[in-house]
Amino acid sequence: MTEIYKYPKSIDGFDRALKVIPGGIYGHQGPAEGCYIPSDAYPRFSSKAQGSYFWDLDDNKYIDYMCAYGPNVLGYGDPDVNAAAMEQLKIEDCATIPSYKMVEFAEVLVDTVASADWAFFCKNGGDTTTLAIMTARAHTHKKKIIFVNGYYHGVNMWTQKLDYPGVLPEDVANNLYVDWNDIPALEKLIEENEGEIAAFISTPYMHGNFVDNELPASGYWQKVRELCTKHGIVLIVDDVRAGFRLDLAGSDHYYGFKADLICFCKALANGWNVSALCGQDFIKPTISGLTYTGSYWMSAVPFAAGIACINKLKAVDAPRDFARKGLDLTNKLKQAANENGFHLVVSGEPALFYLRLADDDSLMIHQAWVAECVKRGVWITNHHNHFINYSLSDEDINRTAEIADEAFKALAKRM
Amino acid sequence: MEDQATLAYLNMFAVLGSLENLTDLLPRAREQVRTPKPVSVGFAVKDGPQATITFDDGHARLTEGVDNCDVKLPFASPEKFNGLIDGTVTPVPSKGFTKINFLLKQFTPLTETLEKYLRPDPKDLENRDFFEVSTKVMFYVIAAALSQVANHDEVGRFSAAHTLDGDIAFGIKDGPQATIRVNAHHFQTIKEPCKEPRAVMEFESLDLARELFDGKVVALASIGTGQIAMRGMISMLDNLNRILDRVALYLA
Repeated sequence: MTEIYKYPKSIDGFDRALKVIPGGIYGHQGPAEGCYIPSDAYPRFSSKAQGSYFWDLDDNKYIDYMCAYGPNVLGYGDPDVNAAAMEQLKIEDCATIPSYKMVEFAEVLVDTVASADWAFFCKNGGDTTTLAIMTARAHTHKKKIIFVNGYYHGVNMWTQKLDYPGVLPEDVANNLYVDWNDIPALEKLIEENEGEIAAFISTPYMHGNFVDNELPASGYWQKVRELCTKHGIVLIVDDVRAGFRLDLAGSDHYYGFKADLICFCKALANGWNVSALCGQDFIKPTISGLTYTGSYWMSAVPFAAGIACINKLKAVDAPRDFARKGLDLTNKLKQAANENGFHLVVSGEPALFYLRLADDDSLMIHQAWVAECVKRGVWITNHHNHFINYSLSDEDINRTAEIADEAFKALAKRM
Repeated sequence: MEDQATLAYLNMFAVLGSLENLTDLLPRAREQVRTPKPVSVGFAVKDGPQATITFDDGHARLTEGVDNCDVKLPFASPEKFNGLIDGTVTPVPSKGFTKINFLLKQFTPLTETLEKYLRPDPKDLENRDFFEVSTKVMFYVIAAALSQVANHDEVGRFSAAHTLDGDIAFGIKDGPQATIRVNAHHFQTIKEPCKEPRAVMEFESLDLARELFDGKVVALASIGTGQIAMRGMISMLDNLNRILDRVALYLA
């Protein structure tokens, strides 16, 4: 039987954090937004990370299926990516004028991403989604944006909702909402707002939280593309989460259509901080005229890391590897559930699988199982999709299945 | 920005509604309104809430509607009714003139007692018995206010529109409990423990609840420390938290 983890150092660390950091740990990597249920089943801070693992402050080791919420795509501390970054660091990083590495990285993206004729670099995914919206509005001179219900496009004001603290009605006054995969509703929405819509923004498939993830229905994206073209609406694909895990040419390419603008971040440089908005030629003059920049957006080390990352993803045919491992893992998890009398629903693409135990409609059984896994060294999460990384081994997958089985047995004993 | 109609619903069902809890918890409050026979006071707000509080053996019970009340207090608008609660409007009964004495000498002193417990002097809170009654009554005010804000406030309704159906257990460990029932985006507060919750939000203690009510601690940090336990359909609690944020605006 696997030893159950304890977290005394993490708890002490969190108490210290509460004194100097709002909420102790804010955002999605904290216990509140991260849905640590119950909170004492989870550590708070990591001490090191390597490959597919990280260790917490108490030196407990985890097989990590959140991958830093996406950036870990090749393995923490990938030697090839880090070597490229270190080599660049010796030369220069953040200087008065940009390093030429920026051009080399843009060329790599244009050669890799099917819908990319250019690349504009920022730091976070939200920088690129905001830039995409600004570009669409500047290009069309229209103000309304269509979102798909259940969306997440970062935390900028325009991405939030009317009832979020600190958000004004004016911040979201031009937001329109439609359900995923609902073409008739989209057609109606466009008709009702004819001549006022700047952009349609969506992830390549619906990887919302708290719900099973939904793939595009047959012909969905092709119809969306057709409607956007017909009505002069800029089609923005937010590929921050799924980018380079399904298809190195972009998730729009994977689903057989071409975005006007496509946002990348998480898997772009294996954890080195850079994001990119890519797009088609027709909109390049518009974005060229925008005022949009940041203090560290042209630092060269992440560009070097990004080049190495994309090249390695290509060399190892990473999306094929992610799909195989994701499928193998989730099949084994489902089998463990079945053998213990539980019903595990797996949704989304295997490279970004989403899990839900369907044995109660409150998800409390699911939360209890996830907590049992975490306490035994498998880091999965309650209500967010997961991520596969290239360094994940078959041995890791088998060990995960063993721990999942132990967790189901522990859960069954309590019920 | 708060809206007067929503505030009127909140004042009616959460603030006046908490007389139920005050009279249950505090013998002195029961003595203030004890009468030989039950007496009921109706509040009829034009374009707003209508409810009756019945006092029976010192215990208050609030029901919707004003069809069966001994004393009826009409208000021309939600603003006028809100004026009653903040002490700027003196109502004139349209029915039940023989019960004026009850209104002036028993009901009004009871509302003064309620105010003492809802807006306590910090020194009074040093008395543990006072602290417990005050915190429990405040809890019921907030629990009831949640549903009123969810059903009437524009932003609250937006949150309600995104809330799944089911019962939320909202409570304080070893203390007061309420069920927030959501059905087709309509909220209802039942001041009883939840039997089959789809989501649970529970404060660790009365002391923590008080600190949260007074804004001395932050809910997010308390979730992190485990002092607020959440489980179940977390998206329901996300929406509940946003409505709670609006409740604070109205109760400020």
